[in-house]
Amino acid sequence: MPQIRRLPETLINRIAAGEVVERPASALKELVENAIDAGSTRIGVNLVDGGLGGIEVSDDGCGMDPAEMALALERHATSKLPESLIGEAGAIEQVRTLGFRGEALPSIASVSRLTIESRPRDAESGWRKRIDHGELIENAPCAIPPGTRIRMEGLFDKLPARRKFLRTPRSEYAACLDVVRRLAMTRTDIAVTLDHGERRVLAVQAGEDLAERAAQIVTRELKENGVGIEFERPTETGELIRLTGIAGLPTYNRGVADHQYLFVNGRPVKDRLLIGAVRGAYSDMLARDRHAVLALFLELPAEDVDVNVHPAKTEVRFRDAAGVRGFIVSGLRRALASGDKRSAQGPDRSAMDRWQREPVEQPAAMRSIFAGSGWTPPAGNMARVQAYMRSDEADGEVLAMPQGRAETPMDEERPSPSYPLGIARGQVAQTYIVAEAEDGLVLVDQHAAHERLVLERLKAAGAEEAVSRSQALLMPEVVELDEPACDRLEEAIDTLAQHGLVIERFGPGAMLVRATPHALRNGDLAKLLEDIDDDLAKHGTALLLGEKLDLVLATMACHGSVRAGRNLTVAEMNALLREMERTPRSGQCNHGRPTWVKLSMDDVEKLFGRH
Amino acid sequence: MKATIERATLLRCLSHVQSVVERRNTIPILSNVLIDAAETGSLKVMATDLDLQVVENMSAASVDTPGAITVSAHLLFDIARKLPDGSQVSLDAADGRMTVKAGRSRFSLPTLPRDDFPMIVEGDLPTKFELPAKTLAELIDRTRFAISTEETRYYLNGIFLHVSDEDRPLLKAAATDGHRLARFTLDRPDGADGMPDVIVPRKAVAELRKLLEESLDGHVQIDLSASKIRFTLGGEGGVVLTSKLIDGTFPDYSRVIPTGNDKLLRLDPRSFYEAVDRVATIATEKTRAVKMGLDKDKVTLSVTSPDNGTAAEELAAEYGADNLEIGFNANYLKDILSQIDSDNVELHLADAGAPTLIRKDDKASALYVLMPMRV
Repeated sequence: MPQIRRLPETLINRIAAGEVVERPASALKELVENAIDAGSTRIGVNLVDGGLGGIEVSDDGCGMDPAEMALALERHATSKLPESLIGEAGAIEQVRTLGFRGEALPSIASVSRLTIESRPRDAESGWRKRIDHGELIENAPCAIPPGTRIRMEGLFDKLPARRKFLRTPRSEYAACLDVVRRLAMTRTDIAVTLDHGERRVLAVQAGEDLAERAAQIVTRELKENGVGIEFERPTETGELIRLTGIAGLPTYNRGVADHQYLFVNGRPVKDRLLIGAVRGAYSDMLARDRHAVLALFLELPAEDVDVNVHPAKTEVRFRDAAGVRGFIVSGLRRALASGDKRSAQGPDRSAMDRWQREPVEQPAAMRSIFAGSGWTPPAGNMARVQAYMRSDEADGEVLAMPQGRAETPMDEERPSPSYPLGIARGQVAQTYIVAEAEDGLVLVDQHAAHERLVLERLKAAGAEEAVSRSQALLMPEVVELDEPACDRLEEAIDTLAQHGLVIERFGPGAMLVRATPHALRNGDLAKLLEDIDDDLAKHGTALLLGEKLDLVLATMACHGSVRAGRNLTVAEMNALLREMERTPRSGQCNHGRPTWVKLSMDDVEKLFGRH
Repeated sequence: MKATIERATLLRCLSHVQSVVERRNTIPILSNVLIDAAETGSLKVMATDLDLQVVENMSAASVDTPGAITVSAHLLFDIARKLPDGSQVSLDAADGRMTVKAGRSRFSLPTLPRDDFPMIVEGDLPTKFELPAKTLAELIDRTRFAISTEETRYYLNGIFLHVSDEDRPLLKAAATDGHRLARFTLDRPDGADGMPDVIVPRKAVAELRKLLEESLDGHVQIDLSASKIRFTLGGEGGVVLTSKLIDGTFPDYSRVIPTGNDKLLRLDPRSFYEAVDRVATIATEKTRAVKMGLDKDKVTLSVTSPDNGTAAEELAAEYGADNLEIGFNANYLKDILSQIDSDNVELHLADAGAPTLIRKDDKASALYVLMPMRV
């Protein structure tokens, strides 16, 4: 008969390590969080081979004396829960530091060779401990400036099963970089450096403002193509819930969601509720397969959020999930509605490079049908212009024929600061409006812009309600789904009913559809429910139905708007520009493409080498 | 095969069969019609799409060589259409080509051998009965507008025929698209007892209706089994339409026909139709909801459109029950009202969320059920 035995301490630690440490990046995250919690002002991270060779984190924080170091290496030992709180039932809920479980250090120590050197600020000298897979092999004084330095080497050397599952140095490095980026963004008062081998990858100074740090860490363009968020609202208990950060304009989007940095009370998280809220806020401004770029910081009373969901703490739970979601969505939408009218939005670099300076070859189709048939162009201006256009013909190269049409302005209007989109000067290719603003040249895609205006107008008139009017079914349709799917749908019944989809539970593994939104009445109901359920499972919220209805609206808007290829008079163009200035969120079309771009005067001068 | 035929006969016959042939086919022979010349001097023309086949006999001016060949249906039809009226058309098939001659025109068309031409195997068709062509045409007209076009619910893509015994033996036809239902009832014809429940597909219904238009005075012989149905029409030479039936179960629609609707609204269907049509002018494609406000002897129709404003119209009606507001899809309402050939229509209502029953009067053979919309 097998006997039940208590496991040795080192083995217990290794098992626990499995939860916390699965790859170098997770160990790095714990170490950097410790450094932040120690109150450091400067943190240096050094990686070798993407963290597989070794990780070193040094800080100038409070440091530890030898006795504390010994204790820190025991499980469930931490300085992060204040004495006053221990013993209280709600202690965990009061946590304001990044860590609190007291597991990280012993876990890491049990699966690698760890060197800890530390010196409290008031101590004469530092102390060094070296632990090899849970066993203390060196315990001696050392020389070190105040602070702590931790070096981890040979991760999983004695656990080949784990070692096998590590990826290449390159991808482990990418994960480590992501960890450092996210943590560096949370605290603008800490200077962070990251070196990979000999190379300095990241260096941010202390005391920058948030936008600047986010721009440095994410990408430089975010600062130019983003809007700041500053939004707060009192909760039921009277405390404040606050949303700050920087949100990329919908026109500045990416193909993957990697560039969404979300923080709850200074803790980087990857939470599906937050991701869903972000998608909800950007819905109808971005195509489904595009993702916004942003850094969002949510601050709310510690007792309203549970961070103790998972040892790695990337998931959180909110006491009032729906309220938090609504708060984020409205905060984001408000910021985006005000932000896309700024005149500083420049064309992105690649667009600038596409400006052609060389004369282009005349396409064959553009040669006059009258050429060579004895036809003489009418005398006057036209002839002179054509002669000029053809003056280089001997070389086989001419200037492109102008495709645009300039109209004499109705009255001499001057660009003024009150018209950020400028005064229309003409139309190119019957598709783009060229306008002159005070600080540059504005190009507007007339179809995309008008489509967006019509959509916003439809929405303002309550068209959303109109398309989601529900058409009841003569015979309710039974859709069979698996049980968890039905449970999810059942929870969302109220939300779906607002969009006109009336469903109810029909036994353990089926849903009964009683009415569908009018605009979607001829679809496959089973497919619709499946898609909605997938969405619920992925984002925890039923955004899909709303998005489908938005698509119907967008189609309506598309049919009701000015097409490309139509001549517009200057008065029409100006009216369009003025309406765009008045309408919120008119900076992008329904798919997140820009409706207008501005070439600043500086950029124009650059094109001519006048800079 | 070599035969001569009058252009008008050929054209009429081809116009019957060619619409069965789909414009685009992956199987080349399905684009063709089969022409079979018999020694007796009659010509058989046949077209199919594998689910539906139409065979028509016509008399030829002369048959020199009996035989059969297949040739592109649309091509031959277009040629026959453009030939001068009154000309004699000679069809001569040899060496994989068919020569079509009329007057001074000559066409040489590619052919495919007749042996490859697919035939629907009818099998045994045990149920046999006869209906006046007029009745059959009415049955189709009253129900076909409600046939669903949604492929996912294929069992709604046709007219459901079944027999039932109530106070007298009946034959019932029903069609629904999930939002509305149309049912047509007639006395059961002799021979229809014990008929299996069948669903006649939409395309067969449409083709049949076209053929009926030309022989409204005669009778139609109907033979069917659980999987096939055959309609034999009189007329010159006779037309036979054979179709596969939809293999599915039509939902038990009798449960959705309301019986306890106590609010009765009576009005003139024509002015009702026109009023709905007028107010729906401002409704956009995606929002065709019309709201009906019912007061004592008065109906107020109204439409609100997000981009086009509002419209309202009052109608005199006979109504005595409690006030009620209910919404309907304007198109559905118009579809049904246009089927009522009388000065009076009855709407039996219960509440804004329950199915509404619409019919001419309690003796009418046609009955409609419409689900409201939330407005």
